[in-house]
Amino acid sequence: MTLDFKRALPALAALVGLLGLLGAAPSPPPRYPQAFATDLGVTRLVGEADTDAPVAGVQIFVAAGLDRQAANQSGVSALVAECLERTPVDGVPLRDAIAADGGSITYTVDGRSVHYYLETRPERLPAAVTLFGRALANPDFSSETIAAARTALVKHIGEFESNALSVGIQMFRRSYYPSGAGAPALGSTTTLAQLGSADAQAFYHATYKRAAISASAAGNLAPGLGEALKSVASGLADGPLAATQESARAIPAEAPRIVAHRDVAAPWVVVGFAAPAPASKDFGAMLVLQALLAGAFDRNSTTTLGFVERSVGAFYLYDASPASLVVYVNGTEADPSVSLREILVVSRSLSLKPLGATALGHFKAAAEGQFLTESVNLSDRSYLLGTFASQGLGADSINAALGALEGTTAADVQRVAKRYLQRYIVALVLPRQQNAGT
Amino acid sequence: MSSHRRLRAGALGAFLILTAAAAAAAVVPGEASFGPEVTVGKLSAGGTVIVRPSVGAPVAAVELWYRAPSTGFGAKPLPSVARLAAQVVAASKPLVGGALGTVVHDLGGRLSITVYSDSVAVAAVVPATAARAVVKAMTTSFFAPVVTDDGFGLGQRDVEQEALFTGFDPETAVRDAVFSGLFSGGPQHYPALGEPKDVSAIGIGDVRSFATRAFRAPNATLVISGAVDPNVADAAVGGRADGSDAAPEPPAVPTLASAPGPVAKTFVQPSGGYGWVGPAIADERAATAMDFIADYLFRSDDGYVAKAVAGRYPDAFLVGNFITLHDPGVMFVAYSGKDAGAVRALVDEGFAKVRTPLDPQAFATAFAEFEYHMRSDLQTPTQIADNFGWYSVEGDPGYAPGAGGESGAYFKAADALTPDFVATVAQKYLAKDPVVVTMRPQAPAPKGGKP
Repeated sequence: MTLDFKRALPALAALVGLLGLLGAAPSPPPRYPQAFATDLGVTRLVGEADTDAPVAGVQIFVAAGLDRQAANQSGVSALVAECLERTPVDGVPLRDAIAADGGSITYTVDGRSVHYYLETRPERLPAAVTLFGRALANPDFSSETIAAARTALVKHIGEFESNALSVGIQMFRRSYYPSGAGAPALGSTTTLAQLGSADAQAFYHATYKRAAISASAAGNLAPGLGEALKSVASGLADGPLAATQESARAIPAEAPRIVAHRDVAAPWVVVGFAAPAPASKDFGAMLVLQALLAGAFDRNSTTTLGFVERSVGAFYLYDASPASLVVYVNGTEADPSVSLREILVVSRSLSLKPLGATALGHFKAAAEGQFLTESVNLSDRSYLLGTFASQGLGADSINAALGALEGTTAADVQRVAKRYLQRYIVALVLPRQQNAGT
Repeated sequence: MSSHRRLRAGALGAFLILTAAAAAAAVVPGEASFGPEVTVGKLSAGGTVIVRPSVGAPVAAVELWYRAPSTGFGAKPLPSVARLAAQVVAASKPLVGGALGTVVHDLGGRLSITVYSDSVAVAAVVPATAARAVVKAMTTSFFAPVVTDDGFGLGQRDVEQEALFTGFDPETAVRDAVFSGLFSGGPQHYPALGEPKDVSAIGIGDVRSFATRAFRAPNATLVISGAVDPNVADAAVGGRADGSDAAPEPPAVPTLASAPGPVAKTFVQPSGGYGWVGPAIADERAATAMDFIADYLFRSDDGYVAKAVAGRYPDAFLVGNFITLHDPGVMFVAYSGKDAGAVRALVDEGFAKVRTPLDPQAFATAFAEFEYHMRSDLQTPTQIADNFGWYSVEGDPGYAPGAGGESGAYFKAADALTPDFVATVAQKYLAKDPVVVTMRPQAPAPKGGKP
């Protein structure tokens, strides 16, 4: 099945025109519960309180993400996190201890941090955080634990490598970021095989410091969480954090293309652009552009499609600094070369002419809806709250992001399209059988 | 051509005229079993409305649940007709306003349609500020369904595509095979979504006929959850004016296979599974015990069997669930991957373990995890609405997890579980010979044979 973009564009224009006739009444802007901020001394907790939630969750951010890995240590951040979850507390691995008390712990490695998410019934969250702090202060980097952690990571890497979209995004990131922020989140089978206890210890001692900790919470938050988080920070060594390189390579005007071959059924195309940070005045406009590029060319299904079923989609990646935007084309659903050309034509036209008021309203509404419906559970909300707060959006950071979106003008969209969407990197993930001919 | 299509749609629309007046929902005070925060009432057009306002993300889940057989109402089963009909109605432009799919899409929301053996769920999650508009759009589309030629074309394309993707899902393939083996008749015997060719074979007349009977206000449960006003259901439109749609559909009566035998099928990778019939939804304590067993054995990452499988066969796929149904429920397990035989041995070991009482420490730990999972699965408006809708169409809304909060029927039934009772339930339902499903890839054609 392919998508006829020559038909899609007029249809888009007609839709935009029709919307202008409807004249929907304005409604008050949607807002999350107003966030609070609590100073915990060396660290800070921001949170949104849902008094009727059956559980509570907290993200504990450690500034020990990809951007702090050396080039020859890809995967060490994830290795340390895996070991931490397996660290015995009173003889029981941390993950099992938290589960046995009715809770869960997961972690995610991203460009600027590794963040651990703990969720329990409300009154038990402080105890779970205290358990976490005990493991954090004395992680187990024994060879047995390292081996088990490595095995788990290799499994996840295998899943990642079989996903064409993940591979394409990773290719772009590696090309865009000169620092460790461009490395694969979990490393590779090869790099992990070379990492041992000493590497994990060294990374831990260099990065897991009091100043590296911050936290954000959501849900039915019980008293005692702040004290428990203080104990987490106090269990770590004092001292300054090393500066990180927050930069990206300039994207050349000639649009570099990177090609990889994988066991995939059809080609996938990932187009990567530079993008503004969340605290930038351009943030809201980039959210609008994300919605526009993802929605304008997709195959218009009545029900919402997952990323594998979509023909075109977009992700705004603000986990690393600077941020980036990727737009992908799924070759099983659309002709990649036609789709790519149309995306680039639209990107260029957006920089040349402002959107009309009706079109702007339509895409702002779509962007806002997508933002809201992707940020509903406590894990996603606490992550957004923490990551936006750490990037300068203030304590009530999710609502600040919504405000930025609502304040976006047509001139903003044009300016941001002109600034960010005219240079790009193309990553192509092709089926292996095409290898011989390319 | 296009004007002809419009005429046909208009003629159908004239037949299914909305009642213009008295459209508002007549909401009555909530029933005690749902708790004080939930409003339960009757829509003016018939049918039930459940509204559960909550604090949190400014989103709303708006869901319409119908009791309707997935294979249609006729004597001859028509697999996939319910799924296709729901998609077509959501894609068709009603007489007033836009097609539901378009309305939700333009709001940046998400629309999903899920069909089970004897129920259909149409679910949207949207910004809370748009909840009233979506309630209106959804009830406009589904209380007096219009089926247009354009909507039929779009819907058929979408559902064929979905059927194609679903054909590669081992969980669905095994579950369908288990049901097919356990039930010899009724919609439970057939997949809720068949193969693409099944979808292609359904005509617009079948879709209209199904939609007209199934998608009626008196047959509906409208569930709204999230950061919404308790009166949000006022936005629901009235039903049809023809007066022919007063009663809800009764539950489909399944026919149990007298001697369930093994089921062998082809699939893209080696897969398998098995299943047993379990307690009806009305046996709340036993049904909760089955939920506990499924959680203890198969919960992703934490489950006793899930953990063992992940450790020994990291590439294997495993899922196990108790499906709470009107009567009977079904426990099923599906596994897939090159180590399917070895995975099955671990699954057998797990079921053997729960047929005898767990020691008190193991039970206490498993119960703490189960209770946490119950709570964690109630944290979004969609999770709450799904529960209320599902348990309503299956006939026991007060038993829905989340109804009545921690003093509700589900939590009470959970609190009453003991190691001995869980083992007794396992012995009663899970000691019989299950329906065993074995799936293998199609053998390659012999050389020299026809392609």
